[in-house]
Amino acid sequence: MTSLLEIAGVGKTYRARERTVEVLTAVDLSVSEGEFVALVGPSGCGKTTLLKIVAGLLPATTGQVRFDGRPVTEPPAGLGVVFQEYGRSLYAWKTVRQNVELPLRHLGLSRARRRELVADALDALDAVGLGAAGDAYPWQLSGGMQQRVAIARAVAYRPRLLLMDEPFSAVDAQTRADLEDLVAALWKRYGMTIVLVTHDIDEAVYLSQRVVVLGTGVSGVQADIPVDLPADREQIGTRSSAPFGELRTRVWTQVRRTPDGEPHARRTPESEMA
Amino acid sequence: MRALGYALGLPAVLVAAWWVASDGSTNVFLPPLRTIVEAFRDVWFSGTFVSDVVPSLWRLAAGYAVALAAGVTLGFVIGRWAVPRALTGPLLAYFRVLPAPVLIPVLLVAVGIGDATKLVVITVGAVWPILLNTADGVRAADEVGLETAAAYRLPRRTRHLLVLRGASPQIFAGARQALGLSIILMVVSEMLMSTDGLGFTVVQFQRSFAIPQMWSGVLLIGLLGFGLAKLFELVERRALRWHRGHTGQLTERR
Repeated sequence: MTSLLEIAGVGKTYRARERTVEVLTAVDLSVSEGEFVALVGPSGCGKTTLLKIVAGLLPATTGQVRFDGRPVTEPPAGLGVVFQEYGRSLYAWKTVRQNVELPLRHLGLSRARRRELVADALDALDAVGLGAAGDAYPWQLSGGMQQRVAIARAVAYRPRLLLMDEPFSAVDAQTRADLEDLVAALWKRYGMTIVLVTHDIDEAVYLSQRVVVLGTGVSGVQADIPVDLPADREQIGTRSSAPFGELRTRVWTQVRRTPDGEPHARRTPESEMA
Repeated sequence: MRALGYALGLPAVLVAAWWVASDGSTNVFLPPLRTIVEAFRDVWFSGTFVSDVVPSLWRLAAGYAVALAAGVTLGFVIGRWAVPRALTGPLLAYFRVLPAPVLIPVLLVAVGIGDATKLVVITVGAVWPILLNTADGVRAADEVGLETAAAYRLPRRTRHLLVLRGASPQIFAGARQALGLSIILMVVSEMLMSTDGLGFTVVQFQRSFAIPQMWSGVLLIGLLGFGLAKLFELVERRALRWHRGHTGQLTERR
């Protein structure tokens, strides 16, 4: 497999007047075309920062990100995003259909092709009648449905790489399980590469082929754990299986191990204040 | 129906009270409402409408339109970019507190008594609430919405339009304030330097002791302001329906 995403020595330091805060130190990671990678780590480890650097929304202080061989200096073509705050990511004055179509309008596609992509995406996301709700406004939908619209927008765009930042953190448990299975199905159907940032270890193991643990302090990649579960997963069976339990324990141990107080840990903003 | 009753009830009572209380009034300065209404019909349903009301409305519309265009454009630039914001900060603080009517004597000397002077006064006075509100709204553009637009590589123009649309609730708030100001400035500028228009006519009536006619002009200006405010509200309600929904002020869900 060729590597679609190449993250080499990426670090991020914020400089305020007197203090500098190092959020990310020398992250090395490569993601192959078609892979589903979950990024986990304790809060404050810079997961979201890393995702924004990968998306070209934030410049790295050190190191470089390469997407499809080219250095990322701005959002690259073929990138889809789904953020946690669906209510702010969708444009409230546009209907569901207009929201989904917006990114397609500037790709030079024919009108017919655009319609087709939108219809297909709404269809793929249609578990509870989102297709029929194409003319509704986001605020007329429940939170889970709004996040579906944001995912449909990403899918219609046919991205090569889909970045998801805590996409299910703001919805209830049942909806969350539904959305997880939906994303798994979309990944299989469209074969795009997915990088998912989550603080939920079970979710990371359940969905991905590989869980990458970011550390605090020294940061960088703390552990890179392949998830060798069968491709077809299912909420109850998979989550109660023995291999799942072992994997989640391994990831847990890694997340816990990242540490303040490890010999090579640098000062973090929290430890400075303490 | 009930709401309409509440809305019309008090005004109806007050008008009736005025009618009754003023009936038979011999005070020259407080004529009976009956006389005022008669004067209203005689004065405003005649050539005066074309010679004085139309010019006033035209000035109001033109001055307000220029204020709207300039306020939104400048407000957008100032809200969106830090350098223009830093450069204009002190200037804005100065001009926003400068009452527009003080410009009248200056403009009278510089530009003369023509329509241009009145347009400038209306525009210069009404532009501030629009400009400042637009700048605030644009500056508060949602970070997540902007990042989404950037990640999907939307063209610059589309991103600007998204920011502007997101700021439309604040823009409307400024525009509503500016409409009230425009009416005031229209009347004031016509009172001080004009040969026609509503403000001019009211002052003329007062100077020639045509008191009921003067009162009818006051009534007309009030009705005009009320009508324009209602019209504005209608447009605003339509344009900002999404905002009321988004902020939970509409209850319909699917």
